[in-house]
Amino acid sequence: MAKESTTIDIGETSTVTKSTSHALVDEKKKGFVTAAPGGGYKRGLTIFDFLLRLAAIGITIGASSVMFTAEETLPFFTQFLQFQAGYDDFPTFQFFVIAIAIVASYLVLSLPFSIVTIVRPLAVAPRLILLISDTVVLTLTTAAAAAAASIVYLAHNGNANTNWLPICQQFGDFCQTASTAVVAASISVVFFILLIVISAIVLKRH
Amino acid sequence: MKNESTVIDVPAESSSAMKGSAPLIGVARDHTTSDSGGYKRGLSIFDFLLRLAAIIAASVAAGTMFTSDETLPFFTQFLQFEAGYDDLPTFQFFVIAMSMISGYLLLSLPFSVVTIVRPLATAPRLLLLVLDTAAMAFNMAAASSAAAIGYLAHNGNQNTNWLPICQQFGDFCQKTSGAVVSSFVSVVFFIMLVVLSGVALKRH
Repeated sequence: MAKESTTIDIGETSTVTKSTSHALVDEKKKGFVTAAPGGGYKRGLTIFDFLLRLAAIGITIGASSVMFTAEETLPFFTQFLQFQAGYDDFPTFQFFVIAIAIVASYLVLSLPFSIVTIVRPLAVAPRLILLISDTVVLTLTTAAAAAAASIVYLAHNGNANTNWLPICQQFGDFCQTASTAVVAASISVVFFILLIVISAIVLKRH
Repeated sequence: MKNESTVIDVPAESSSAMKGSAPLIGVARDHTTSDSGGYKRGLSIFDFLLRLAAIIAASVAAGTMFTSDETLPFFTQFLQFEAGYDDLPTFQFFVIAMSMISGYLLLSLPFSVVTIVRPLATAPRLLLLVLDTAAMAFNMAAASSAAAIGYLAHNGNQNTNWLPICQQFGDFCQKTSGAVVSSFVSVVFFIMLVVLSGVALKRH
């Protein structure tokens, strides 16, 4: 029955236990502190994203409605058979009005997702959804804007080789209104690129 | 000088128990980096392959539009008997834009290789995503403006007295339409590239 035994001197242990509990509390504090700066600048970016969306809604609704109301009726007699010009004379402009209207409604529907990312800046799923759908909508917007721009260019300059006459020389107001709509759609393209870049920066891990 | 002291009995057979409980510390693997590095590396390789396919699509588009000349052998009502891409400024823009897109994709291949080698680095990924987005918008602009002119060449416009030239220049129209379709395929590749970079960037 030979048992090993040892004697342990228990001195003043209260400071030791206090320091270990401090370490636990400090770790908890540290964990809390590192979460906040990542949340800080990301929250700023998501708020900027929301404001960009509001601006893009305004611009796309403006572009679509300006093109929709771009009519002109000539008061005098000309060599042309056509005395009226409207957006529905050009299939490309019809596509422009419909496509930009779809883009505007998408932006309105994406506002709740943007608000969710403001409230939870570190959530990945709504950000990824916004990034993917923003990319698709960017494609649609660029298509509409570029196609309408090429028709507007043709209307301004014509083409000697194909005998396409520049109609802007007769329909000045119509051309001006259509050009304004195309410029507004191009600005919304820039906004979409900014939105995609913001989503990518917010998504990335440290 | 009074010390508190206590006596602890240490049983002799404790060595086996101690041996069994020792190696807890070294077991904790770094789960997150190795697992996410695995599927992100797969995404990077897919990104590289998509880039190669997009290079082919973009250069085919530029080349087809560039060589779409046609000269009519017979006499027609039109004053113009030749048609080429340089007769339409939109098609000139298309050729230049698709060539720039092909050049950009070639130059972005090293960055893609870097993301394969280091799947967890975010800086090259973010750079590729931003540049790919801009290049995609540029590509789409060229493709859709050429498509609008191509539609006009096929159908004409009665209201503005723009006659459809495809009825005379059939080969020219066919080649330009093929170039536009190839350019749209390149846009689809770009969309996939952007979405891929976004998914690969995300944290867990």
